[in-house]
Amino acid sequence: MRLTATVNGRARTFEVEARSTLLEVIRESLLLTGAKEACGVGECGNCMVLLDGEPTPSCLVLAPDAEGREIVTVEGLAPEGALDEVQAAFLEAGAFQCGFCTPGMVITAGALLRDQPNAAAGEIKQALAGVLCRCGSYTKVMKAMEKLAGRGA
Amino acid sequence: MKRLREFSYHEPESLEAAIGILAAGGDGARLLAGGTDLVVDMKTGRMRPSIVVNLKRIPGLSGIEAVEGGIRIGALTPVATLQASPLVGQMAAALADAAAVLATPPVRGLATIGGNIGRASPASDLGPPLIVHEAIATIEGPDGSREETVESLYVGPGATTLAVHDIITSIFVPTPAAGFGSAHLKIGARAGGTDIAMVGVSAGVTLGADGRIAAARIVLASVAPTPLRAIAAEQALAGREPSEEAVAAAAAAAAAACRPISDLRASASHRVALAGVLTARVLRSAIARAREASR
Amino acid sequence: MTTTVGRSVTRIDGRDKVTGAAVFGVDLAVAGMLHGAVVRSPHPHARIVSIDPAAAAAAPGVEVIVTGADFPYLFGSATRDQPFLAIDRVRYVGEPVVAIAARTEAEAQEAADLVVVEYEELPAVCDMRDALAEDAPLVHPDMHTYVKGAHVIVPHTNINTLWTFERGDVEAGFAGADLIVEDEFTAHALSHAALEPHVSIAAYDPVNRAYTLWLPTDRPFQVRGELTAALGIPSDKVRLIVTSVGGSFGGKNTLISEAISVALARFAGGRPVRVEFTRQEDLTATSTRVPAIMKLRTGVTRDGSITARSAEALWDSGAYTSNTVGVAIRGSSTIFGPYRTPHLSLVVRQVYTNRATTGSYRGYGTTQVTWACESQMDMIAAALGLDPLAFRLRNGYEEGDPYINEQIMHGVGLRESLERTAAEIGWGEVDRAPAPHLRRGKGIATMLKPTATPTSSNAVIKVEEDGRVTVLVAAPEIGAGQSTVLAQIAADAIGVPIEAVVVPGTDTAYTPYNGPVASSRTTFHVGNAIVMAGAEIREKILAAAADILDRDAGRLDLVDGRIVEDGVPIKPLSELFGGLAYGDGYSITAEARYSSKGSPLLKAAAPYEWMSSIFWMFATHAAEIEVDIETGAVRVVKVAAAGDVGRAINPMACEQQIEGGVVMGISNALFEEFKGSGGRIDNGSFADYKLAALPDIPEIVAIIVESQHAEAPFGAKGIGEPAAAATPPAIANALFDAVGIRILDLPITPEKVLRAIAEKASAEGAG
Ligand SMILES: Cc1cc2nc3c(=O)[nH]c(=O)nc-3n(C[C@H](O)[C@H](O)[C@H](O)COP(=O)(O)OP(=O)(O)OC[C@H]3O[C@@H](n4cnc5c(N)ncnc54)[C@H](O)[C@@H]3O)c2cc1C
Ligand code: FES
Ligand code: FES
Repeated sequence: MRLTATVNGRARTFEVEARSTLLEVIRESLLLTGAKEACGVGECGNCMVLLDGEPTPSCLVLAPDAEGREIVTVEGLAPEGALDEVQAAFLEAGAFQCGFCTPGMVITAGALLRDQPNAAAGEIKQALAGVLCRCGSYTKVMKAMEKLAGRGA
Repeated sequence: MKRLREFSYHEPESLEAAIGILAAGGDGARLLAGGTDLVVDMKTGRMRPSIVVNLKRIPGLSGIEAVEGGIRIGALTPVATLQASPLVGQMAAALADAAAVLATPPVRGLATIGGNIGRASPASDLGPPLIVHEAIATIEGPDGSREETVESLYVGPGATTLAVHDIITSIFVPTPAAGFGSAHLKIGARAGGTDIAMVGVSAGVTLGADGRIAAARIVLASVAPTPLRAIAAEQALAGREPSEEAVAAAAAAAAAACRPISDLRASASHRVALAGVLTARVLRSAIARAREASR
Repeated sequence: MTTTVGRSVTRIDGRDKVTGAAVFGVDLAVAGMLHGAVVRSPHPHARIVSIDPAAAAAAPGVEVIVTGADFPYLFGSATRDQPFLAIDRVRYVGEPVVAIAARTEAEAQEAADLVVVEYEELPAVCDMRDALAEDAPLVHPDMHTYVKGAHVIVPHTNINTLWTFERGDVEAGFAGADLIVEDEFTAHALSHAALEPHVSIAAYDPVNRAYTLWLPTDRPFQVRGELTAALGIPSDKVRLIVTSVGGSFGGKNTLISEAISVALARFAGGRPVRVEFTRQEDLTATSTRVPAIMKLRTGVTRDGSITARSAEALWDSGAYTSNTVGVAIRGSSTIFGPYRTPHLSLVVRQVYTNRATTGSYRGYGTTQVTWACESQMDMIAAALGLDPLAFRLRNGYEEGDPYINEQIMHGVGLRESLERTAAEIGWGEVDRAPAPHLRRGKGIATMLKPTATPTSSNAVIKVEEDGRVTVLVAAPEIGAGQSTVLAQIAADAIGVPIEAVVVPGTDTAYTPYNGPVASSRTTFHVGNAIVMAGAEIREKILAAAADILDRDAGRLDLVDGRIVEDGVPIKPLSELFGGLAYGDGYSITAEARYSSKGSPLLKAAAPYEWMSSIFWMFATHAAEIEVDIETGAVRVVKVAAAGDVGRAINPMACEQQIEGGVVMGISNALFEEFKGSGGRIDNGSFADYKLAALPDIPEIVAIIVESQHAEAPFGAKGIGEPAAAATPPAIANALFDAVGIRILDLPITPEKVLRAIAEKASAEGAG
């Protein structure tokens, strides 16, 4: 079936199978490989994209459900070669190690700060609870987030 | 990555059309709401539907509104919306509590209240508070619309009284009596408190004008094949002062009523131990809220 | 003149990581590739009676089907015991039996379900203790016929590794003790659970009969060696191109998905084959930490001096030895901890069982033994009425102390790590719990870790005509920041800014040999090679500058990317070669090899020099926890974690390793556990195999101890591995402090805690 959606600001139309997940479409049809699959069942958040602005585990969404909607992936957060505020803060704080979870972390973090620019530490932890990081970059993620939320150095 | 098997996919735009597809599809047909259960079950092989009927193009199935005598929650309303809704917070505190601990925020954005009932997990977070609040589901089927208490829908792990062609369209939560307070608590594996419940408990307490407990409802998750009404525990409270002794008696009765299994998440004996502790804790919160409401 | 070393330089791979541009193994697509899927054994032990692939072969999209009979090779770094695909029998639930390649992954997975395999079940041994029984079923009846290394096996048993070690006179040591304690500890199997699952793409070039693999791995040359040895082909027939690695933790270092992709590629007529394991496969059928049961006996004097220790360690390799032999031996050898122990004895046995293969895991055996040693240190302190910190300090190694093989140890930052973590956690101060059902407690644990010795590393450095410096080393970036740290070392060794340094990904066709990116050895070994090559290239650059600029080489210097004459900058390196005539150019290269072999630092009592380590790492973690005595839930409140890194080349990267290690330690200790019976793992999903998430993470204070090391590049040792080992016993010790209970077998689950609290209460009630 045909799917029309806005992907990182551009209207796109492409062929999908109904049984494809949105994540498969993003990675394999659109060749945007920033979003990752680490669990496939909603537990790790590494596949997070913004769907109509909300962080959504794309491994749980069937492709047809994206019809007519706006998708933003990590690749769409900033123009090529540039970083958005969250990415820049993560880079500076070293809030990543292997970087596999980082796209999901950055996407989820950005949506939180958009809604709650001064989110408290507890709110940050809850909002990011759905993104697993096996390297254990959490401490540095919190450091970056505290700064973005207007606290700390 | 694990790929989904092929199925025939439908996006009906009306309830009638959906019911028609379901009725024709027979046993292999499944409704798709948020997909947070169905898609996972399809990946793990627990379910292999030949027909998937997506409900999300049918208008009017999502949203929360105040209606005569209570609130009406559309079946497709996401859990995140329940959590954020002031109406739910006022009218059904236990449901709001439960919504706030059901999975992590992004999953809450997809997961729906109807899907939670439809999945009928014994560990469900929404079943217990809905039963505590005496919620009633409106169900649309080939023979029209009918109403049933949410409590009566559950028949076993993953099983409801609903037929393949039945669709829950909304849930009605009645306005609680004066002096009513409710709460929900669960314990999962990790500190975040949002993991699938090893044990969950919802309780509702109505305080009479004399300050005694006029009525109580206690429902536990993950300790029986369905959400478990702890009737003996409710009776242990009725007519008593809301004291620590009463709470302890109810907690003991709730623990005694449990019929848990040992599974990947906890052993049966640990569940029983937790059921008592959680029942006591949740009752304290419910009583505190009931006192607030009585003021 | 140091410009980048010691500074928290932004990681050079950082931009690609935060933008999602980094290409991991799972992200790569090679033109024309097929997709693989695996048919796995449902039995722990069975004879394969027949395989009927007909229905699968006829399924849409299927191009290749391979069985063990088609590709009958064995691999294994210690013992060559493991088939690419099961040959005649299966030895664990999940063992690959048939591999299928199809045009799409969905088609391959669907076809895999159509293969019919008939099995005849055999008696299985799924518990390591049972494997020792006289009449235990043998997992490998032909073990004695396998090609293997120097380690000792016991033929016609399940014992695939046997090692004993003794120093001094243990019996005399125990005779001189006032107190002897003996306890048994269990360290459980754990998934590496790298978030990037096992994945590889393999292509076979039928013209040259050569394989190319694209894969995330931390040991390119060792994986290549395993493959060439197994297939009996020379090294030029296998090329490995390493992608970004989405976490390894010791898991991505042997043939796992690679065994399948290679077998399929061999028959795919030149088409590449991609094999990605699902999370379920990754959790249940790849590799885990080697579980261990450790009996530890310790004698101490009344005032707290250790007189003797003896240990018996039993390790479970699972169905194949993989790289467990070194884990069992090297790991066990550190079970006595960082403490002076005059008399000791050790018996190490490792058995085959009908369980999924185990292997190296961050810490290489030290996480297991540290659990035993450090739990018992506290138990002894409690029995003697001593402060656990003082007891450790009293017995702990100091600079210049001999190790158990009599190697003289240098760069011993143990005392400082103990004292600083204790101070940070507020040792001895009692924190009030915030509610009646909560209790607080503090605990400390420490450990030492050798690095793989002797090993070697090579570096080739090229300076291009625009002055950019390419550092060719086979040190894949596994997330620990090695590319940045190595670039820093190169920048300072040569005298150029770090922006001018490029560390390309590893490609065995071009990058020179390196030992594994493991054992926390990279900074030290590769760093040393870079320092040497860097010094040489610096000289060559200055000679070229003298030539081009017509100056006296003796007066020139290279500072921060500029050619300097008598302290005055005269030319940026980036412009030095620019003005040459078309066709005239420079590409300056230097190469160097560092090997720890033969270092005088390794001298020890014969024949135990192999136990020496070119450097020793020390790590101490102090934890404060809160226990809910009604639910048994343990919450970690704070961890102070010190790592003795020698010298922090990049303090931020060190902190990342320390913090990440604590997170992994918390996760390992409190949440992670395989569930199932009969050799079957039932929790093959992150829904039921839980990893720590942000709400579980306490305040973590990383403390960097810099003990300096004479033979190290800028004094730097290593950090990555020891970082995870001390957290679990620190938590267990804090639990004892909080509620007086002792859990001897990991993990520390709420259920065990609640039971132990109840048992203690009833014992006290009775007594
Ligand atoms: C990571 C993760 C964590 C989770 N954690 C929790 C948790 O903590 N607590 C908890 O309770 N649940 C949890 N769940 C389960 C799930 O999110 C909830 O049960 C959710 O409410 C299901 O809703 P859905 O809309 O996604 O259902 P779907 O997956 O769309 O449907 C579930 C089932 O209900 C049926 N169904 C759907 N809508 C209707 C309807 N209107 N009428 C009749 N039948 C219908 C479907 O056919 C299907 O069988 C978790 C899931 C994930 C992936
Ligand atoms: S891959 Fe989607 S949540 Fe893990
Ligand atoms: S940085 Fe490796 S998983 Fe998060």
